[in-house]
Amino acid sequence: MTQQNFKRNCLIAATLAAFALPLVVRSATYLHILIILYLYAYMTTTWNLVGGFAGVLPLGHAVFVGIGAYTSTVLWLQYGVTPWIGMLAGGVLAGAVGFLIGKPTLKMRGAYFALSTMAFVEGIRVMVENIDMLGPFNLNGPRGLNIPPLAHGEVNFWAFQFATKEPYYYIILTMLVGVLFLTWAISRSKMGFYLKGGGEEPDAAQALGVNVARYKVMAMVLSSFLTAMAGTFLAQLTLFIYPKSVLTLDLSFELAFIALIGGRGSIAGPIIGALLLRPVTEFSRIYFSSTLPGLHLIILGVVLIVVMLFQPRGLTEPLTNFFNSIARRFDASAREERK
Amino acid sequence: MNLLEVQDVTMRFGGLIAVNDLSLNIGKGQILGLIGPNGAGKSTAFNCVAGLYNPTAGKIIFDGEDVTGQKPWDLCKKGLARTFQIVKPFASMTVLDNVTVGAFAITDRRDLARKKAMEVLELLDMADKRNALPGALTIADRKRLEIARALATDPKLLLLDEVMAGLRPTEVDDVIEIIRKLRDRGMTIFVIEHIMRAIMALSDEIVVIHFGKKICRGKPEQVAQDENVIKAYLGENYGTA
Ligand SMILES: Nc1ncnc2c1ncn2[C@@H]1O[C@H](COP(=O)(O)OP(=O)(O)OP(=O)(O)O)[C@@H](O)[C@H]1O
Ligand SMILES: [Mg+2]
Repeated sequence: MTQQNFKRNCLIAATLAAFALPLVVRSATYLHILIILYLYAYMTTTWNLVGGFAGVLPLGHAVFVGIGAYTSTVLWLQYGVTPWIGMLAGGVLAGAVGFLIGKPTLKMRGAYFALSTMAFVEGIRVMVENIDMLGPFNLNGPRGLNIPPLAHGEVNFWAFQFATKEPYYYIILTMLVGVLFLTWAISRSKMGFYLKGGGEEPDAAQALGVNVARYKVMAMVLSSFLTAMAGTFLAQLTLFIYPKSVLTLDLSFELAFIALIGGRGSIAGPIIGALLLRPVTEFSRIYFSSTLPGLHLIILGVVLIVVMLFQPRGLTEPLTNFFNSIARRFDASAREERK
Repeated sequence: MNLLEVQDVTMRFGGLIAVNDLSLNIGKGQILGLIGPNGAGKSTAFNCVAGLYNPTAGKIIFDGEDVTGQKPWDLCKKGLARTFQIVKPFASMTVLDNVTVGAFAITDRRDLARKKAMEVLELLDMADKRNALPGALTIADRKRLEIARALATDPKLLLLDEVMAGLRPTEVDDVIEIIRKLRDRGMTIFVIEHIMRAIMALSDEIVVIHFGKKICRGKPEQVAQDENVIKAYLGENYGTA
């Protein structure tokens, strides 16, 4: 087995194991925890498309989660449109909003982009909290939207509602694998090279033919689109959305924290980050949500500072080195065997 | 025919006139040297030509087209490449990846970009360093990487801003050799350099600027004897480099 093959086989094995997991994990509670974990890994991966590869810092990605959740839910409740189409519609709307935020701000350097993404998520949350009707669409203000659960016999694929957790598990896992594959493909393509180069040394990249701002906007639109799909999934999973659940700075920051701690701009970073940090959030919510709300952000902040001090490129780098040393050992022992 | 014409270009930064009514042209296949004391406006002139700055006044004609005010990335696609005086490598990318970014200017395909990048690295004798990170390179190699990236875009005109500064004499000779090789392949080269020995050996013609103004243009030996030039500049430097 060569090093390359070893890595590929590990990847295939991990993917197969993830798909086979529900055969072993039968408890709905545990499946739910895994679903949320994958959902965060997914959202952080889509964040990473612009926050990692393009070298900017989006701090308001929840706005796209919210747009995805609200679009598909309104379309389902008022017009009976299947959430699968709603998912695409939300994606397109989010992509347009991502374009509007990115186009003027991604040309500038520094904090303008980060600040305007924060302003956007706050602005839209306040807006949704204060209006019931947006034109013909009923957003129901701060009370949010309930998706009436279908009876057991009526649940089906088109309604995006299921009687058990397994279908949700497979849907989000498929979405995660898909978006990871997309990230991998992009990172190897012209777009990936241009985003990375433009993020690191914009002047040099421009001199080499890269329209840096344009590629950043492209990444932003793609990222917004894919992030909104997670919003629809979340809405269908919980069947209840309200401004403070999906349109928050809280969620926006958490995604950024997970990516930065895991490893910005690396493909495995969001997964490692989500695996390590989601439990922190989960536990602090369970035990301290009434006494110390927001504690998880403080913990994440402290972890971020420590990680940035010792591993400025995130935790993925040392873990990758460790993994590579194992892969090399395999390589060496394989060579021994052949002799 | 001229590949580049700079016509009455002025560049102001607030009250400071960095380039003052500068005109010059470069014929196809020529090597033109640009010299002048520190702060004379050489790099600024380059930045105007390469589209990083939009000149306050004047015109830039490249390959018969008025390209004044066009963006660096569009100029690059038209065949104008440049290096930076202060090298700007992509620090987290390997040497090969750095050069591949440049090669994507001429193709959308990864395999072709890789191939082009490897060709350039071989041309510059850097193929063995392809997997190194720029931070691990010597000054000479970092300067060479800067040239390699620019070459990967397949330029007609190459602007070199002090690519020999800080190099040892033998390394300077290597770069002179490389530049000659490029010219023999038909490339036109516009070069800023403080190392007199190099600029004298390379240039078909030399333009001297002082306080942003052109004070002399001519063959290397004419320039070396020009009174204004000696007064402004060569007097204290010629022969010491
Ligand atoms: N972006 C800028 N903003 C303001 N002033 C500038 C800028 N760029 C250059 N200058 C000024 O313009 C003048 C010319 O600078 P330039 O870098 O073009 O000189 P140079 O001939 O390349 O010098 P050197 O040999 O030291 O590289 C200097 O006085 C410099 O301080
Ligand atoms: Mg200079």
